[in-house]
Amino acid sequence: MNGATNPGGGNHLERTDQGGLYRELSRSNLPATKRWYAVTGLLLLVTLWGVGCFVYMMKVGMGVTGLNRPVMWGALIASFVFWIGLSHSGTLISAILRITNATWRAPILRGAEAMTAFALMVGGLFPLIHIGRNWRFYYMIPYPNSRQLWPNLRSPLMWDAVAINTYLLGSLTFLYFGMIPDLAIARDHATGWRKKFYTVLALGFRGSHNEWRRYHVASTIFAILIIPVAVSVHSIVGWDFAMAKVPGWHSTIFAPYFVTGAIFSGLAGVVLVMAVLRKAYRLESALTTVQFENLGKLLCTMSLLWGYFYFAEFLTVWYNRNPEEWEVYRSYGGHYLPLWLVMVVCNFVVPFPLLCMRRVRRSIPALCFVSFLVVVGMYAERFLIVVTSLARRNDPFIWHNYFPTWVEFSILAGALAMFLLLYTVFAKLFPIMAISDIQERLFQATDRVVGGTTVESIARPEASGEGEHG
Amino acid sequence: MSVVVVVGLFDGIGKAAGGGNALRALPLAEDRITTLSSVPLPDGAVSRDTRRIRFPRATLAGWFVGALAGLALALGTYLLYPLITGGKAIVSVPPTLIITYEVAMLGALFGTVVAGFREMGLMRFRTKVIHDPRIHEGKILLCASVEPGDQERRAIEAMREAGGIEVRAEEGVL
Repeated sequence: MNGATNPGGGNHLERTDQGGLYRELSRSNLPATKRWYAVTGLLLLVTLWGVGCFVYMMKVGMGVTGLNRPVMWGALIASFVFWIGLSHSGTLISAILRITNATWRAPILRGAEAMTAFALMVGGLFPLIHIGRNWRFYYMIPYPNSRQLWPNLRSPLMWDAVAINTYLLGSLTFLYFGMIPDLAIARDHATGWRKKFYTVLALGFRGSHNEWRRYHVASTIFAILIIPVAVSVHSIVGWDFAMAKVPGWHSTIFAPYFVTGAIFSGLAGVVLVMAVLRKAYRLESALTTVQFENLGKLLCTMSLLWGYFYFAEFLTVWYNRNPEEWEVYRSYGGHYLPLWLVMVVCNFVVPFPLLCMRRVRRSIPALCFVSFLVVVGMYAERFLIVVTSLARRNDPFIWHNYFPTWVEFSILAGALAMFLLLYTVFAKLFPIMAISDIQERLFQATDRVVGGTTVESIARPEASGEGEHG
Repeated sequence: MSVVVVVGLFDGIGKAAGGGNALRALPLAEDRITTLSSVPLPDGAVSRDTRRIRFPRATLAGWFVGALAGLALALGTYLLYPLITGGKAIVSVPPTLIITYEVAMLGALFGTVVAGFREMGLMRFRTKVIHDPRIHEGKILLCASVEPGDQERRAIEAMREAGGIEVRAEEGVL
C-alpha cells in the first residue's frame, strides 16, 4: 500500500498511515469529474434507449422480436440465463474466500459482491421484459385476488422467481452487511451530506470489541448461508430447461453444468470489473497481480471443468444418437456452426492453455483478454442452449432459425449499460474497496526473518483460541 | 448505581494492553472494559468479550420460520388452488421441497441480520454512545465503565500511567 511509511517491526498496519490508506482506497468517492458525468450520461442514454425499445415492443407487440414458432425463447431468455450466471461468482467467491480465510481476498470482496447484486437486478428484468403483456406481470405475485389466479408452484419458472428473489435479497444483505465497518470509516472521514448519509447507513457501528466479534460471526454465518443459495439459484435456472421434454434440454447434468458455467462466467466478470476499477481509480497498490493470478487459476480450473461437463453432455448424445437430440447437435455443425465455434474456442480452446501459463495469469491485459473471451463464449453457450433446442424441436416441418432483431439487440445493450450505470453510481457513493478487510489483513501481517530472508507472516486469531466464550 | 465511562486513547496495541491490565488490577471486572478500534483485535489482546454470542440461534429460528412459511405457501397453494391432473397427486413433493428450502434460507438470512444488529447494539441513533474517530488513525480507545468518584479517579490514573495519550471521563454508553 502507498500508505506504508515506516519499514520497521510490528504488524503492517502499524507501519501504515491509515488516513492515507483510506484516501487511496476511497478515491472513487471523490467529487464527480466532468469525465465521470460524461461516462454516466452516455450509459444513461444507452439505458434509456433500451427502455425506449422495450416500451416500443410493449406497444407494438412481440412481433418486433425475431421470435416465431417454434423458437419462443430467444436472446432475452439467453440474456436472463447469462446475467444470472454472471451474478454468481461475486457473492459465491466472496463467501468461499471469507470462509476459507484466503488472505488475498480483501481487495476483491466489495467489487465482486456489488457485481452480483447489479447483475441479478439486470438479469431479473429479462423474464419480465420477455413475457409479453408486461403490464400483467403482477399475475405472478401470490396474493388473494378476484381473478382467482394464483401462481403455479409446480412450475420451475416459479421456483426460479422464488430462488432469484431469495438470492437477490441475500446478496444485497451480504453486500450491505460487509460494508458496515467501511461505512463507519467513511462516516468519520466525510463532511456535509455524505456524513449524514454514511451516519445513517453505518447504523452507529463504532468498532467496539463486542461489535467486531459479533460482526465476524455474522459474516461467517452469512457466507455459509449464501453458498447453498447461490448453488440452488443456478441449479433452478438449469431446471427451467431440464424439466421440459425438449431435446437438448432434458438432461440430468444440466443443474451442475449450469452452476459450473455460472461460476466460470462470473469469475471472468470479476476479473474484468476488477481491472476496470484498478485502472479507473488507480488502485494498483491494492489490486495487485496476486489477486489477478489467483483469479486466473480459478478461471483455468473452471475452464477445464466446463470442458469436461460439455464433453460429458456431448458424448452421451453422440453415442446414443437419439434422432431428436442428435438433430440439435447436428445444427451446431450447420446453421449454428459460427456460434458453436465461438463457444468452444472462447470457453476452452483458447482460455485453458493460456491460463495454464503463469505469464498470462500475471499479466492483467492478457487475463482481461481471456476473461473477455470467456464472457463472449458463455453468452454464445447460453444462446445455443436456449435457441437451438427450440429451433430443431421435434417436427422438421416447423424448424426455424432464429436471429434477434434490432429491438432485442437494443434491449441487450440497454441492459449492459444499466449494469454499468448502477456500478458507476455505486462506486461513486459507496466504498468500492473493503477497507476494513484490507486493514485487518495488514494488521494480521508481520515480517518474519527466515534464514537470510524476510517473509510475510499472517497471524490467524481464530486459531489461537479466540471465541472460547462464544 | 450511576456509572461514567473513562476513555483513554492509546498509541498501539501494546500500550492499550498495558492499560487494560492496569484497569483489571484496580480491580475492575472484565465485562466493564472494552476497546474501540479500526480493526478487530483478538479476544484477550486488550479486553475480553465475556458475553455469550447468542444470535446464531436466531439464524436457526429464522430458518424454521422460513421453512414453515415456505411449506405453508406450497401446501396452501395445492389446497386452495388444486390443479387436478389425471394420475397426479394434488400435493407435489419435490416442488414443495424447493420452495420450502428457498424461503427457509431467506428466513435464516433475515434472522441473522435482525438478531445480529440487535446483539451488536446497532441502530441506537438517539443514544449518546462513546466514540472517537481517531481510531481510524491507528489509535485504540480503551473504555471502562466505572463508578463516579474514587474508582473513576483511579481508572484515569491507571490509564495515564499505562501511556494513554488522552484520558478523560465521558458521559454516554458503551
